[in-house]
Amino acid sequence: MQKKRSVVDYSRYGYFFSIPFIVTFLIFTLYPVLYTSIIGFTDMKGLGNTNIHFLTSDPFANFKEVLSSELFRLSLFNTFRIWIYNFIPQLGLALLLTAWFTDNRLQIKAKGFFKVIFYLPNIITMASIAILFRAFFGYPMGPANDLVTRIKGPGTEIKFLQDRDTTRNIVAFIQFWMWYGYTMVQLVSGVIGISPDIFEAAEIDGANRVQTFFFITIPNIRTILLFTLVTSLIGGLNMFDIPKLLMNGGPDNATITASLYIYNQAFSGSYKYNTAAAASMIMFVLIVICSAILFYIMRDKDEAALKKLRKAEKKAMKG
Amino acid sequence: MDKNKVSKSKQPLYLMIPLYIACVVLAILSIVPFWVMIVNATRSTTQIQQHAISFIPGGSIAKNFSILNAKKTFNPVIGFTNSAVISVGVTGLAVYFSSLTAYAITAYDWKLKNAFFSMIMAIMMIPAQVTTIGFYQAVYKVGMTNNRLMLILPAIASPMMVFFMRQYLQASLSMEIVQSGRIDGAGEFRIFNQIVLPIMKPAIATQAIFTFVSSWNSYFMPLVLLTKSEKYTMPIMVSLLNGDIYKTEYGCVYLGLTMTVLPLIIVYLFLSKYIVAGVALGGVKG
Amino acid sequence: MKKVIASALCLTMVGTAMFTGCASKQEEKVLNVWAFTNEVPDMIKRYKELHPEFDYEIKETIIATTEGAYQPALDSALAAGGADAPDIYCAEAAFVLKYTQGSAAQYAMPYADLGINVDSALKTAEIAQYTVDIGTRPSDGKLVALGYQATGGAFIYRRSVAQKAWGTDDPAVVADKIGSGSGNWTKFWQAAEDLKAVGCGIVSGDGDIWHAVENSSSTGWVVDGKLSISAEREDFLNISMKLMENGYHNDTQDWQDAWFADMKGEGPKDILGFFGPAWLINYTIGPNCGSKDEDGNLVGTFADGVGTWGDWAVCASPVGFFWGGTWVIANKDTKHKDAVKTIIEWITLDASENGLQYMWANGTLYGEGGTKDAVASGAVMKKSNGELDFLAGQNMFDAFVPAGEYATGKNLTEYDETINGYWRDQVRQYTSGAKSYEQAIEDFKAQVAENLDVTVE
Repeated sequence: MQKKRSVVDYSRYGYFFSIPFIVTFLIFTLYPVLYTSIIGFTDMKGLGNTNIHFLTSDPFANFKEVLSSELFRLSLFNTFRIWIYNFIPQLGLALLLTAWFTDNRLQIKAKGFFKVIFYLPNIITMASIAILFRAFFGYPMGPANDLVTRIKGPGTEIKFLQDRDTTRNIVAFIQFWMWYGYTMVQLVSGVIGISPDIFEAAEIDGANRVQTFFFITIPNIRTILLFTLVTSLIGGLNMFDIPKLLMNGGPDNATITASLYIYNQAFSGSYKYNTAAAASMIMFVLIVICSAILFYIMRDKDEAALKKLRKAEKKAMKG
Repeated sequence: MDKNKVSKSKQPLYLMIPLYIACVVLAILSIVPFWVMIVNATRSTTQIQQHAISFIPGGSIAKNFSILNAKKTFNPVIGFTNSAVISVGVTGLAVYFSSLTAYAITAYDWKLKNAFFSMIMAIMMIPAQVTTIGFYQAVYKVGMTNNRLMLILPAIASPMMVFFMRQYLQASLSMEIVQSGRIDGAGEFRIFNQIVLPIMKPAIATQAIFTFVSSWNSYFMPLVLLTKSEKYTMPIMVSLLNGDIYKTEYGCVYLGLTMTVLPLIIVYLFLSKYIVAGVALGGVKG
Repeated sequence: MKKVIASALCLTMVGTAMFTGCASKQEEKVLNVWAFTNEVPDMIKRYKELHPEFDYEIKETIIATTEGAYQPALDSALAAGGADAPDIYCAEAAFVLKYTQGSAAQYAMPYADLGINVDSALKTAEIAQYTVDIGTRPSDGKLVALGYQATGGAFIYRRSVAQKAWGTDDPAVVADKIGSGSGNWTKFWQAAEDLKAVGCGIVSGDGDIWHAVENSSSTGWVVDGKLSISAEREDFLNISMKLMENGYHNDTQDWQDAWFADMKGEGPKDILGFFGPAWLINYTIGPNCGSKDEDGNLVGTFADGVGTWGDWAVCASPVGFFWGGTWVIANKDTKHKDAVKTIIEWITLDASENGLQYMWANGTLYGEGGTKDAVASGAVMKKSNGELDFLAGQNMFDAFVPAGEYATGKNLTEYDETINGYWRDQVRQYTSGAKSYEQAIEDFKAQVAENLDVTVE
């Protein structure tokens, strides 16, 4: 293999095949990204404001304002709090279901049906889901309170959506419920991509199902797992629709997420595009840092070692 | 043969019963909102206002249909066509070009490969809220609002899907197949189309479903970009049913929502066999 | 799968081919109308039907206000100008101030510049003053927007509950009992006590009173760029707590299931009434009173024991207020001044029997028997018939003409929607016992300071 590659150099195809992506990116994404990053250093606020200046005395004034904002810090806390409460059970359940559904020895009946059904919550629009959940936890009437009064008697209705932690948990639950099927489908597609021979070999070697899952399945879908973790982190830190649609960040700012904070800066009346842009840049940096940590933890240690070795080899050859 | 028989023997009940209970409970949780939505499509606005959630169908579906028919802004034929054009376009472009880009990153060694991949990852991490504003302003400045291509073409650069495809290829693509294709004299582009794409079937199926669903349901971008009623997508039409602040016809809205979701479910079920059965990887062996 | 991909790509190509067909063509007589519902565009189309000589093509752009998409789109369209810019655009009460007095007011063309004789038309039509106040641009004192609906609010109450408490359902007596027009809540609390004595509540939830409290304020939320919590609005904390502690209401939230149940008389206790404009009767209480079947046909009345239809009456509110409404604005860059003038005058200022408002008030715009609604022109309402079976034959205009005069449009700001949201959120925190009075105000101030470009002291 090594020999052949050195005869024909295929690397230019790497460039060719990337061209559509790059061109599209340059046309459609670059401008908005630059636009946002520049606004963060200006005094652009208000509607139809054409008199915009760069901040000369203190270029980072917007960033300082955001970082010193208590509400921004609360929104970060909310974001992480809701994400963790949603993601840990979500990944746990998705992994468990993946283990069940891909275990040839378990022979679950109707597993195709279940796999298909579990993704369904992701199909309905967020707006409808928010409406349904708000009605479900309605006060003093609503299915949840019907249950409460049936158990505890009349007059015991609970204001679910008035309590800060309850509302956070409801948001986390909605996220969990909407996305565990999605995560599972992705993990399963990763497992299907594993060559069946590997499982057969494990079976022949007498591995039990728990061993198979932890020592064969998980390592083999590590790349997909990394994808799941990173995209969920990004999605979680950008969480917007459900907190916005359910209680508009309330009660008492309990479900204001970072994205909602940014949105409010820009659109709740004063059009503070400058602080909104600064807050987005801060979020961007934060997401990059968190993702980098994930990449580091999940990195392929063997491959990394191999790479080092190769580099050393190359160096030696050159030398 | 013998081994197979052993492995497929009955599993202990203490394991299977909780497993089935869990699956059934989750399945119910997944179906309930659909049921409520469809039931609400058959109930009158007043019934819905007084009890938003009910499991018993009402008798107002004909009435809701006639209200819906009378709404000039709601034209399901146009809505379906627009949604379908956009969603199919987005899904096709995103799936194909993401696979191609991922293949470029995985299969070839080129100088800027790692830089390029890092860039893709970085793009993926940009918070969505504010880039959409910049995007809208750019489109508006060049006068391309109401052009569906503005909603479709950006799908060629779908960083998240490239990431997924790359992760998938890393685990399942063996360069030996590519090499054997080269030995057979196939060009690189043909190798990708005829050898690599089939290997990616399971990944493509899942990503196609996800992309189609999110594109079909996407609301904000189409809403601000498409202002002509003949360009409206289904979600925009449904949101207009909601529009009158003082008297929302909820029965009608749920009927509209149901009509929006049905084609999605059909497409999903059509593609779902790839999720269910999995696809044998064409000729890959260890 | 190959087939799927192939067909997907194929469809994409077909799709692409379809785009090439739509080159933009310039037409001479086109009016661009931007609105958040089809109400105004439909009116204009109706005008065309009634006046065939009006040969403009109407190009409507309707973007729902849900998820806040209407304003950004409208703002860019106004800023960009050109052939696709709106000639006529609509704004709802929640955000109209932005387009008449706030950051987007510069795009509006004064009605006078359209060639309308504003002063005399306002006088003849007796347009409700609050709609004029809201539509007047402070920078030059010129009128730039008016509505057609009057959304002045009254107290809409149940006759049977009034009977129970005071032995009469006469609007004049009930008005006296709740302190109509007194400008304060003193008598209202006595009435609440009377109702409590007979096991009833006075309102459904604190949200019902909020619109009245908000509008009774001496100042708006923002004065000279500073947050101002007027005594009246701050008192809402006490009002809300008082309602809660004394059980004067069913503790519902507006637009939630329990609130609608109270309209049917199916809440835990009967409540006397709701504060609201005429549209609340037409679109909310009427359909939800339990007397209509699921097709919207009346199947009985309160007298038959079916729902509460016919058990209602209207009287003036203790403090004046308005709730909602649509204002119509002309773009300063319109190329069709005459057509815009014709339309705007017909919708907002024509008090004759051929004007829109007369047909709107009598429910005859689209033929006989339509919904009757209160309109901005007092002159029109005085010559219209506002009798409703729902109100047991009472003429609703008797209450809504004064309600329109009584409301004020002078204590509003363009931030109201946002700030009201924060305020009511904190009030709920206070009444539920999660926060002290001071803490609620403190947190409210912090919220405003963080999100808006408003100084807070």
